[in-house]
Amino acid sequence: MKAAAFRYHRATSLDDALAVMADDDEEVRALAGGQSLVPLMAMRLSRPEVLVDLNGVDALAGVALDGGHLRIGAMTRQRDVERSPLVAEHLPLLRTAIGHIGHVTIRHRGTIGGSVAHADPAAELPAAVVALGAEMVLASTGGTRVVPAEEFFDSYLVTAVEPGELLVEVRFPLGAVPARHGMAEFTRRAGDFAVAGAIVLADVAADLTVRRARVVPMAVDPAPRRSARAEELLVGRALDDGVIREVAAAVAAGCGPVDDIHGSAAYRRDLVAEMTRRALARLRQGAGE
Amino acid sequence: MSGETAITVSATVNGRRQTFTCEARETLADALRRRCQVRGVHLGCEHGVCGACTIRFDGVTARSCLMFAPQADGAEIVTVEGLADGDELHPLQEAFSRHHALQCGFCTPGFLMVAQELLAEGGPLTEEVVREAISGNICRCTGYHNIVEAILAVADARSGEAEK
Amino acid sequence: MTGTRHGHEPGVGGVGAVVRRHSDPALVTGHATFIDDIESGGTLHLAMVRSPFAHAEIKGVDASAALDLPGVHAVLTGAELVRHAKVQPVGWEHIDNQRAAPTYAMAVGKVRYCGQIVAAVAAESRALAEDAAELVEVDYEPLPVVHSIEDALAPDAPRLVPEWPDNVFGSQTYGNGDADAAFADAEVTVSERLTFGRQFGCPLEPRGAVATWERYTNRIELWINSQSPNRVREVVAEVLGVPVSGVRVRVPGIGGGFGSKANYYGEEILCCLLSRLTGRPVKYIEDRQESFVATSHAREQRIDVAVAATRDGVITALRGHIVGVLGGEISSVGMGPVWLSAVSIPGPYRIPNLELSVTGVLTNRTPYGSYRGWGAPKATFAMERIIERLARELGVDSNEIRRRNFVRPEEMPYSNGVFATLDSGRYEHCLDLCVERLRRDGWYRFREEARAAGRKVGIGVAAFVESTGIGPSRVMARLGIAQGGYDEAVVRMDSTGRVTVFTGQTEMGQGMSTTLAQLCADELNIPVDQITVVMGDTDACPYTGYGTGGSRAAAVGGVAVRQATGELKRQILRVASHQLEVDVADLEIADGLVQVRGLPGYGRTLADVAYAAYRRLTDVGEGTTPTLQGRAVFDPVALTYANGCAGVVVEVDPATGGVTVLGYVMVDDCGTMINPQIVDGQLHGGCAQAIGGALLEDLVYDRNGQLLTTTFMDYLLPTAMEVPPFSTVHVETPAPNTPGGMKGVGEAGTVPGPAAIAAAIDDAVDDPAVFVRHLPVSPEQVYRFCNAAG
Repeated sequence: MKAAAFRYHRATSLDDALAVMADDDEEVRALAGGQSLVPLMAMRLSRPEVLVDLNGVDALAGVALDGGHLRIGAMTRQRDVERSPLVAEHLPLLRTAIGHIGHVTIRHRGTIGGSVAHADPAAELPAAVVALGAEMVLASTGGTRVVPAEEFFDSYLVTAVEPGELLVEVRFPLGAVPARHGMAEFTRRAGDFAVAGAIVLADVAADLTVRRARVVPMAVDPAPRRSARAEELLVGRALDDGVIREVAAAVAAGCGPVDDIHGSAAYRRDLVAEMTRRALARLRQGAGE
Repeated sequence: MSGETAITVSATVNGRRQTFTCEARETLADALRRRCQVRGVHLGCEHGVCGACTIRFDGVTARSCLMFAPQADGAEIVTVEGLADGDELHPLQEAFSRHHALQCGFCTPGFLMVAQELLAEGGPLTEEVVREAISGNICRCTGYHNIVEAILAVADARSGEAEK
Repeated sequence: MTGTRHGHEPGVGGVGAVVRRHSDPALVTGHATFIDDIESGGTLHLAMVRSPFAHAEIKGVDASAALDLPGVHAVLTGAELVRHAKVQPVGWEHIDNQRAAPTYAMAVGKVRYCGQIVAAVAAESRALAEDAAELVEVDYEPLPVVHSIEDALAPDAPRLVPEWPDNVFGSQTYGNGDADAAFADAEVTVSERLTFGRQFGCPLEPRGAVATWERYTNRIELWINSQSPNRVREVVAEVLGVPVSGVRVRVPGIGGGFGSKANYYGEEILCCLLSRLTGRPVKYIEDRQESFVATSHAREQRIDVAVAATRDGVITALRGHIVGVLGGEISSVGMGPVWLSAVSIPGPYRIPNLELSVTGVLTNRTPYGSYRGWGAPKATFAMERIIERLARELGVDSNEIRRRNFVRPEEMPYSNGVFATLDSGRYEHCLDLCVERLRRDGWYRFREEARAAGRKVGIGVAAFVESTGIGPSRVMARLGIAQGGYDEAVVRMDSTGRVTVFTGQTEMGQGMSTTLAQLCADELNIPVDQITVVMGDTDACPYTGYGTGGSRAAAVGGVAVRQATGELKRQILRVASHQLEVDVADLEIADGLVQVRGLPGYGRTLADVAYAAYRRLTDVGEGTTPTLQGRAVFDPVALTYANGCAGVVVEVDPATGGVTVLGYVMVDDCGTMINPQIVDGQLHGGCAQAIGGALLEDLVYDRNGQLLTTTFMDYLLPTAMEVPPFSTVHVETPAPNTPGGMKGVGEAGTVPGPAAIAAAIDDAVDDPAVFVRHLPVSPEQVYRFCNAAG
């Protein structure tokens, strides 16, 4: 398990990185935390000719409040996001979600941008950024563009990032999504990828009436997507057990899981309903008080 | 098969500056083992799951099989070889031996690095916290029972000292 | 019990003492030497070209592009191999109609499983060797794949060995009494079809070898992380046509073995051969992905089991038919583990009528070999499951069934007429202790309270015996095993009075170097830290017929060490007797002295006695041979039977099928314990593997014979979060035929756990329609148990 040969480029700045990324004669890949890419390279399932190491580009790391957004640089370590007071205050879901990623040692190196760009539908961060209505800032030598999270993920490990482009920042609009969150996932072992999971956000009134809601199932679709039907079922209704059951069923009915060694599609469908139920129950805890 | 140019890397390993050349594709784990002669970095999976290659990289634990050696240029690295103070074992090393928390010992360096970080954070440790903290490391021999006991024993001894 | 203890003084660290292992300091500081740390200048690295097909003809191999790559020294193919190497021997030829399926160190003409070696590339680095391996072009013509037992036994099945009439490697039936009559007359009968999944030892350190074939001396020096250096030495000699004395096998620290490193493999042969062809040391380190296809698989069996009984729950007859899912080639142990499962099903029970049979079928899977526990976990799974089934049928507690059928201590030695002669043990006592410990730890009350709160908590118990201390050489020879079961040991005292033990056993983390030193210390009554244990070098160390496995290192190797130490002690006393002019019978070793009994302090220091024996021979009696060395060969007269009982507490989450192991009691009678802390460690580790085997670990093949689980993300080893604290209980019934009373403990932890976990899940789900018939049981299966349609 030794990676195929590649040329290593330690980027000194974003412009430097983008200049190398712009080379369309060679297959270029950006190296962020490496927690997913390096194993793929060791197995020779990924074999870039040039590897652009972003770990030296300090400008790509950091959490900042900027007007109506919380901006997180793509190279910000997951552990730093998890421990950021700004994130704790404004994006508690993000903190919860990162707590489910692998293990602390993985989160020390793993970055928010790396995980989002890797786009594993069983991973926590892609689902979380969809739930949070985040915007992906993509840069290239031609300039930058912003892609909403909901348009960012195409399918398994495939995103809107074009050759030559780099995800440089994840921008979270504040107040644009509901404040309360609930999350649940089922894993075979502690720290494993989810067999199925769910993230829910909702604003809930004192009488438990849901004002706004966002529901994102995990590991049951080729890419993380909101469940529009589930959200419709929530809004305007009191978050009681019956509604929760209905919503869970709608999530299960609307997703497209596939069989794998950890569970059949049918099982995953049942599991995602249960995870939705649990996520909503967690969200409800303490609501309406 | 392009670009196999040698890269020079200079890093501090267990307090000593080391400079070596390697291929870009060499993992940091391989470079530490083969270029820096720190053989306590063990390769149990080379895909970032078993934790046997865990080191401290710029102050925090990292899996050295998930980094390429050139990434270590300028870095401060501590491996299991850097835990003991001369001939004096680190309290965790001592406790692992006393509690029979190792059998074949192949995974042990990784557990020690993670446990050391856990203890350094200084929070209160329960069995549950310790189990969670070491759950990214695989041991095939001990069933973890004595590893948990050893770590808790060091934590208890430390809190005992703090109360004095 | 106390009779087995020697009256050593405190601080000696003899039998029964908790002694810290001398291997620990190097291991905890990262300074121990493992196989990948062995590398001399000029070493070439091997990478293997492994078959992507499960079954295919090899029409041709073109290595020219690989050989053109700078830094590549050689590419070896099967066609070339057969010019230099004979077939790999099969050590276990114990089934009457066992067929021969010649297996070479790599594929010759045909591949029979995914991952089989097709070519070996030697290059100046592993990465380069992997680059070159990608350039080797192999022309395969795929053949139909035999995926399962059903495939293999179908009348029109494609045959893995075309010369055979079918895919059956061997099949045999064993019996006692008249099972047919007993079933016909039975008041009650129950039967089940059970299956056990494919798993493997999966030590954290993969396999590796470094070979140097010295051109001018024509000697091979082979470093290998094997549990059986003597066997490897003989196999290398046999396959490569050199004398045994021309092969030196050396073993560094082993990063876990679990039986998978007790088998021998083709890779070490390829290292030797490529060293000869290139004139360089050649090193191969299996990588993790390779380990899943290249290291022996184990466990996978289909088991049909039935018992006949009276309404009182007395079992009158047992039928067990086991089919083992062997791989595409035969491993070094043939179908030994499958056979042992079949003949071990009766376990600790007195069953007069037995009909047991075993069949091994070839499939296009990785070869089937050793994994800790060998046949015993499946045998115990079968017997304990059918007891649970009988208990349900009769509406009585399964522990009651166990009690009514246990062989009692006063009935021992008890031969079940098939294979086992149960030599010692208090099986009911172990069950009582298990239940008592579960109660003391609060688990019965916990279950009651949890159930009252609507939670699904269950407790399962399983009793077991396991044949340990293999094995009597004559039994092994009768079985058709081309190896002895004895052990040789040499113990020397040097001229400064320090002692070195030389053994053919190996240290793989189980603490054997420490426990052997303790036996020696116990016999000599000298502190254990004055004893060095040398192992893992066939030039320096004595011969062992079988190596380290079969829970035999203490029960056989340990006895040899003890007896060799006894001989050394006689020599020491003889020298001292001359020096002190006191009869040998009046001398003892104590406090570092050879002293006169009853006159503490009156004597010579051991150092002085030793100095005389080597360097001041005037001080040694006429006719006494200089030097101090004892040698002994111990061949046990019978197998012994470790035994005990596991009690497991689980909680099932009916909404997900998730199973959490909350509590785990392990009662074990390993005979005399040498080092209780090490015994506990062996049990903990074995129990964790039982949890993995029951709930997590599964080598999954698709219909095309592709292994789907080739990473640690797919083959799930338990972590600290899936394993509970263990509660161990020890019973020490000395093995009557083992001097010193040891039975062996290396494998016990793996044996009863799977059966106990299955019973605990049944108990937690608490539905008469639910019965765990397959392990590992997945969350999805448990979910179906809890949410059956209708």
